[in-house]
Amino acid sequence: MSEDRGILRSIWDGKIPVCFTLSQDEIIAEKPEPIYQMVPRITYFPLVTEKISKHLAQYIDKEKQGEMWLECDGVPIKWHYPIGVLYDLLGSSGSLPWKLTVHFQDFPDDEIMHCLSRDVVESHFMSTLKEADALKHRCNVINGMQKKDHKQMWTGLCHDKFDQFWPINKRLMEHTGDDLFKYIPFRIYQNDLPFIQKLFKPQSEEGHEHTLDDLLKFAVPELMESTDNTIFIHGIEVPLHSPLLWLSEHFSYPDNFLHICITQISTQESSKEW
Amino acid sequence: MMDTIPGMDWKKLISQRLKTRYKREYSDFIDLIDTQNNLFEQVASLKARNVQLTYETEKLKSENLSLQVRVDSGSESSGGGGSNERVKQLEQKVYRLQEELTELHKRRGENAQQIIDLSNAMKEKEKELQTKDGKLMDALALENSLKAEIKHLESTVFELEATNQTLKDEHQALQMAFTALEEKYRKVQEDNSELMARWLDLKLKEADKMNQENDRFFKQKQESLKRDLAEAAKEHKDIIPQEENSVLLKGVTPICLSATLPTKAQCKVDAHDGEVNAILWSPTGSLFATGGSDRKVKLWDYNGGMCNSRGTLLGSNAGITALEFDPHEELLLGASNDYASRLWSVRDQRLRHTLTGHSGKVLSAKFLGDATKVVSGSHDRTLKIWDLHSKACSKTIFAGSSCNDLVTLHGTSIISGHFDKRVRFWDPRADNTVNEIGLHGRITSLDISPDKASLLACTREDTLKVIDLRMNQVIHTLCADSFKVAFDWSRAVYSPDGSYAMAGSLDGTLYIWNIQKEKVERTLKEHTHSILDCSWHPSGSVILSSEKQKKIVLWADM
Repeated sequence: MSEDRGILRSIWDGKIPVCFTLSQDEIIAEKPEPIYQMVPRITYFPLVTEKISKHLAQYIDKEKQGEMWLECDGVPIKWHYPIGVLYDLLGSSGSLPWKLTVHFQDFPDDEIMHCLSRDVVESHFMSTLKEADALKHRCNVINGMQKKDHKQMWTGLCHDKFDQFWPINKRLMEHTGDDLFKYIPFRIYQNDLPFIQKLFKPQSEEGHEHTLDDLLKFAVPELMESTDNTIFIHGIEVPLHSPLLWLSEHFSYPDNFLHICITQISTQESSKEW
Repeated sequence: MMDTIPGMDWKKLISQRLKTRYKREYSDFIDLIDTQNNLFEQVASLKARNVQLTYETEKLKSENLSLQVRVDSGSESSGGGGSNERVKQLEQKVYRLQEELTELHKRRGENAQQIIDLSNAMKEKEKELQTKDGKLMDALALENSLKAEIKHLESTVFELEATNQTLKDEHQALQMAFTALEEKYRKVQEDNSELMARWLDLKLKEADKMNQENDRFFKQKQESLKRDLAEAAKEHKDIIPQEENSVLLKGVTPICLSATLPTKAQCKVDAHDGEVNAILWSPTGSLFATGGSDRKVKLWDYNGGMCNSRGTLLGSNAGITALEFDPHEELLLGASNDYASRLWSVRDQRLRHTLTGHSGKVLSAKFLGDATKVVSGSHDRTLKIWDLHSKACSKTIFAGSSCNDLVTLHGTSIISGHFDKRVRFWDPRADNTVNEIGLHGRITSLDISPDKASLLACTREDTLKVIDLRMNQVIHTLCADSFKVAFDWSRAVYSPDGSYAMAGSLDGTLYIWNIQKEKVERTLKEHTHSILDCSWHPSGSVILSSEKQKKIVLWADM
């Protein structure tokens, strides 16, 4: 079990170097230096960009300053996805550090949601957490928790405190005896398509444990036929024969969802290998 | 790098790959990024330091400048021998003061700005105040007007109250008057009922009296009858010689060959209360009738110079204006002021018919031909012909003027004398006048001569006219100096032989003219009041005249 804990820890500690650059169009005078920062994969952008926003806001026209939003190669960043998912989807094809452009103007209302404060992120996180528990335990566990437990999980995530977060999260991940999870909470992302979410039991009717392969064949059978797709969870390719229940327990993001990213192997990458 | 190594434990594979990821994404960059962050922070701090230092330099520079200035001034004032420390102190002071000055300047500027702002604000406030003042003025004006209105309304209310009070008072007064009147009314009613009772009482008494009167009358009659019978039985033998001498034969119309003019008033009787409008001998001359304004018609017996009342004919509701016997002396026709004509039976003295239909007083009524038709002339300017069988009006002639008298001729034509000074001739079968003659005065009476050839008309111009009926023109005019026609219904008559005309005057004198000679043959003066009517006895020797005051006079020479 110490090995599993090591895996949990290393997933929690996963960080990506990000380079924030102010959008060229919005600079009014002196061009600011780009800011580099290591951001945890498991957290959300609004929780880490406060300092950057404050710094870069000095260089723009105050009158035109709107809500800050991020952009990667012309695609607006959806802040409500965990950063790791976003990177695996949008940035993994490029080189590190991940380059993001910071905007303060022309907020794309029709593509991303507004995020005016941390409370919005918190309510989003908690609702996802509840959804996951509804799938796993029909909300029994999360509803049994106290308000301060919820708060502790949230502050643990905010301050990147593994020891604060996991003792509570452990209760959500537990399954007593034969009572397995009702369904595996998962979401499958493909490039810019909406994510796929379906009901999938951890065990087949015959009692066999489902593997990742079974899930993917159930959820996205057409993608499994081609071989130029890469399946990423937390930035790594997980062996397809890994049992799904274990993955759900260990490889889920803090919101208890298994976020699976499927990307096409870009020509750029393959040429690099070649 | 597909998962193609089946023997390899998936967990180990995962941790291996996580390590690879750690290396790729984290350890390769963490130092670099840390360093960058450190550098970034250092740059920031150095920038801040730089700014601070620049400021300090500036400060020192200015300090230096001020010191130099002070050194210069100090060397001038104290010969430059002042202690350096003091100079420095002073310089510092100067510097401080200068700073203070600049500070003050700045403050002054701010103050000035503030003043400007304040003055602007004040101006605004003043403006506001002005608008407020204006509003206040408006409000005051409004208030004044409202006050005035209130005052006006109050006065109106006061007036209305006063009016109300007066109306109330009036109402009270009227109420009081009403109660008083009611009281009065009640009293009057009481009086009325009392009077009614009295009246009934009197009526009863009157009826009793009447009965007594009737009884008395009946007794009288009985007595007279007895007397007559006794007389008749007594004078049985003297009938024949008496018969030869007497001009008065019962039931025979006497024939007058020549009229003799009486000279004496043989008898004077009070016939009626008030005017005696009509007096007429019966065709046989055995009795005569009088009609007065006391509503009564009286029958009188003429018996050898004595006038005895034979009976009273009642029934008229107003004064009698004219009388007429039928040729057989059975009926007496009387015209009355109560718009009606009446027929009495002479024998039993009963009222037979009442002919109503005129809308004015009836001034004359005559039999037309035999005793089945009657013609009457009225003040309502019509003549009516009545049929006595049906007792109804059979014809109405619109004469156009009030008819004062009328006569009938040959039983077929009617001659009427009118208020408009005309004599009109009518044929009852035709509607229009057959002829008419205009005279100079209102016609008061008409009479036909015994030979039916001429007409005697009495007019208000105090003359009598004799009109020839065949030529329809006046052939004689009779007048006298003191002869004055008294009334519109004064009558003039022919003597039975047709040679004399007689009429009464205003002063009570009876005038008799010789028609042929057109001069007064005799005047008879016995009446003291105006004569209304006169009648010549069929035998031609006795005359009756009636006057305004109760009396009738019988003139005879026996």
